[in-house]
Amino acid sequence: MSLIAKKVCMIGPFAVGKTSLVRQYVESLFSDKYHTTIGVKISKKQITCAEQPVQLMLWDIEGVDAFTELRASYLRGASGILLVVDGTRPATIKQIGELRSIVNAYLDDVPLIVLINKSDLLDQWHVDESELAKLRDEGIKVLETSAKTGAGVETAFMSLTQNMLER
Amino acid sequence: MQEILPSLLKQLGLLVIERRDDTSLQCLSRAPDWFLQGLQRADNQYSGSEVFSQQTLGCAFPFLENFLYDAEPVWQGEHTNTQAQSGLWTETDDQGKDMQLEARALKLDQHNLLLIENVSHAFEERHAIYQKARDIALVNEKLISELSIRQRKLQSDIEKHLSQNQPLTTLSDSVEKTPSAVLVCQPDGDVELYNRALVNIYEVDEKQGLTGRSLMDKWVTEAEKHHPEVGRTIKAGSYWEGEFESTDSAGDKKWIRLCIGPVKNEAGGINHWVCIANDLSDYRTISEGWGSISDYDYNTHLPNRRQFWKHITALLESEKQSDETIALLYLDLDYFKRINDDHGHFAGDFLLGTMAARLSRNIKHGDYIAHLGGDEFVILLRYIDDPEDVVSIGERILVTISEPINLDGTPLKVTASVGIALSPLAETEAPDLLKHADLAMYSAKELGRGQVRMYTPDLERNMPRRSQREHEILQAIEAQQFLLEFQPQIALQASGKPRVEALIRWEHPQHGRLPPNEFIGIAEETGSVVPIGDWVLHTACSQGKRWLEDQHPVHIAVNISTKQLRHPDFLAKLKRTLNHTQFPPGLLELEITESSFLKEMDHVIEVLKAVRSMGILVALDDFGSGFSSLNYLKRLPVDFLKIDRSFIHDLPEDNQSRAITTSVIHLAHQLNMKVIAEGVESPEQLAFLKRNQVDFAQGFYLFKPMASQRIDSVEWHAGSVNSPDN
Repeated sequence: MSLIAKKVCMIGPFAVGKTSLVRQYVESLFSDKYHTTIGVKISKKQITCAEQPVQLMLWDIEGVDAFTELRASYLRGASGILLVVDGTRPATIKQIGELRSIVNAYLDDVPLIVLINKSDLLDQWHVDESELAKLRDEGIKVLETSAKTGAGVETAFMSLTQNMLER
Repeated sequence: MQEILPSLLKQLGLLVIERRDDTSLQCLSRAPDWFLQGLQRADNQYSGSEVFSQQTLGCAFPFLENFLYDAEPVWQGEHTNTQAQSGLWTETDDQGKDMQLEARALKLDQHNLLLIENVSHAFEERHAIYQKARDIALVNEKLISELSIRQRKLQSDIEKHLSQNQPLTTLSDSVEKTPSAVLVCQPDGDVELYNRALVNIYEVDEKQGLTGRSLMDKWVTEAEKHHPEVGRTIKAGSYWEGEFESTDSAGDKKWIRLCIGPVKNEAGGINHWVCIANDLSDYRTISEGWGSISDYDYNTHLPNRRQFWKHITALLESEKQSDETIALLYLDLDYFKRINDDHGHFAGDFLLGTMAARLSRNIKHGDYIAHLGGDEFVILLRYIDDPEDVVSIGERILVTISEPINLDGTPLKVTASVGIALSPLAETEAPDLLKHADLAMYSAKELGRGQVRMYTPDLERNMPRRSQREHEILQAIEAQQFLLEFQPQIALQASGKPRVEALIRWEHPQHGRLPPNEFIGIAEETGSVVPIGDWVLHTACSQGKRWLEDQHPVHIAVNISTKQLRHPDFLAKLKRTLNHTQFPPGLLELEITESSFLKEMDHVIEVLKAVRSMGILVALDDFGSGFSSLNYLKRLPVDFLKIDRSFIHDLPEDNQSRAITTSVIHLAHQLNMKVIAEGVESPEQLAFLKRNQVDFAQGFYLFKPMASQRIDSVEWHAGSVNSPDN
């Protein structure tokens, strides 16, 4: 089968670990040092999903905060979205809806998975289950990941890829 | 000069590319190594030439491939010097070194240019600034969030203090110490209390002080520029909170966060207004310049009022020439304040979040939804062909909203009122559109809630009607404009004793006789339902006593509102009424609804037990209409269960209604309760109910509500009922 390319956008509030997730997935590396992303960095990873070779173009997009809006034009042509939040910062979980509304306004029915990152920091975990229940009620897949230990990372990207291929 | 230009561009890290007429691209300056390597990686055939295809560029640099879509309108535009900027992105060269780049598209003297600038040299400094700025923003966000909570609590504390008729002077010390500006004034605006923080924020001359209603009026006028509904909300005696730009007495602009709430008396009249304000100018100056996070509601995750104004302003600006029609739906949840009061603010927030999610699911790509604040949402629909389509969408939304929601283990059905305003885009003034939709929503509320209403100009003329109605209700008690009618409840299984339900009517001097749905909703909101309920109880008992004196004992059921039942003096008033009227408690029945149990269930049960110990019977009204939970039924001290008319209406044809009705009858009998069916409108319904052992029936097929004098003519057993009384 011929290789197909899929654009995946990593979006979320700042400092939730989007860059770390990409590094863990692409390079199997992790650094505890926080280095904020400005703008966009694109990484590539070739995988096989359901016997289909896929080139993932991972757009690591600068986190949304009081200074930076998500530039919707960066989402153009995306086949899937990973919306990353931080399980130790409830405020980031509250921003899921805001980010989803931007995605929904720009893209038509593209697979989106919410990743609750930093699952290794269980002692600081502050996740309101009712918030997640609301998302699941809406049919949004929610997964826990740790860029540090790698837990759930492979599953997250593979799961999104499967969803993208099913479209 | 021409000779040094390539070196200069290289020194500046600037690559200049021209997009040619055949869509190919040509480097006008010397391409750096990283760029050429990228093109070669993407295209084995690439020879290092100055000219290459857009496809090659796109394969080499996916970020630029995306940017070309933004560049194209600039290159196609008729105006020169318009530009598109890509924002910053990072590329990694063959040596693994990161570079920060920015691209710009522009048209210059009919040349379509793409500039790529290496900005790595300035990146570290920029990065450090962003890192620090983000920390500050986080702190600001946290401060404003905590401030909002403190404002609400302070407002609520003062409201509670004044509700208990405690003197204002006892508040002075604590109010003076609070850093929030506090203003307490009378309904006419006369200032009763203010503190130093208010003086400081508004630069008020302390010697002169604050007099008259100028400040509250000023706030409302200023806030209306951002929030058109403020005036109407305050006029209706409701709570409001929000942010707006204000001007102090020195003429300086401030960004104020204000909450205003009334303090009401037992009759529902307003005794005071309590206003809490804080100056957010410092926080907002920062966030205004920097970003978007304050454009979204923290709880519902939807765009907020600020974002809504930005959105609609941008839309109207960009579509000036459009001939399309847009529609604005203004949605307000019904009885949200009551739910908030009964279940608490966390449940209220949960409800808002859930409703926001449901609304979001109901709009299509390209439509827009915002949470304006409180329980108010707007939905902006585009490309409207037929106004009826919008009404259908509104009705579909109402169905979605009314799906049961679980609050504290209690299934709750919520309704909403929706107002619609339509306008051709080119002629739309955003404030007018919002105001019209708000008026239509308000009209839907007046018509009984849970419905959709389209704006028409005549609504403007009727706008003061609700405020007028509130005032009239209070006067109606004094003017004795209320009266009771009595609807017989007929025994179906054995010869029953005479039973009636007392039903209130309002003999309005201008509008004639009004049914309860025209005024009880407003009375409940304003609190005047308590004195009205007291009047009903007293009048019904007095009438019952007169019938008794005529040797005609009639069992009377009286509706008791939730507010009445929870009133601390309820039992005392009940005893006083029975003493005063000398009506035997054994002939009195109190009809309560399921909502009475939503809060303080144990307390309400104790009250009802006390009621029954006096010999009074209790009926559970509208069973099945809203919060029905079989779990609590066995705990309730109730003698009668009234099956909601919505089930009776579909009898006997509808299978589900049949199944529910027979189950409820069986269940009630198992719990030693008698069953009353209301809303009986046909002989078939009556036959079904009789066959299924319902004890009493009430409805238009049997008897309409009637004046007390006509009760003599009623036959009290179904066997004697041959034809409807209408």
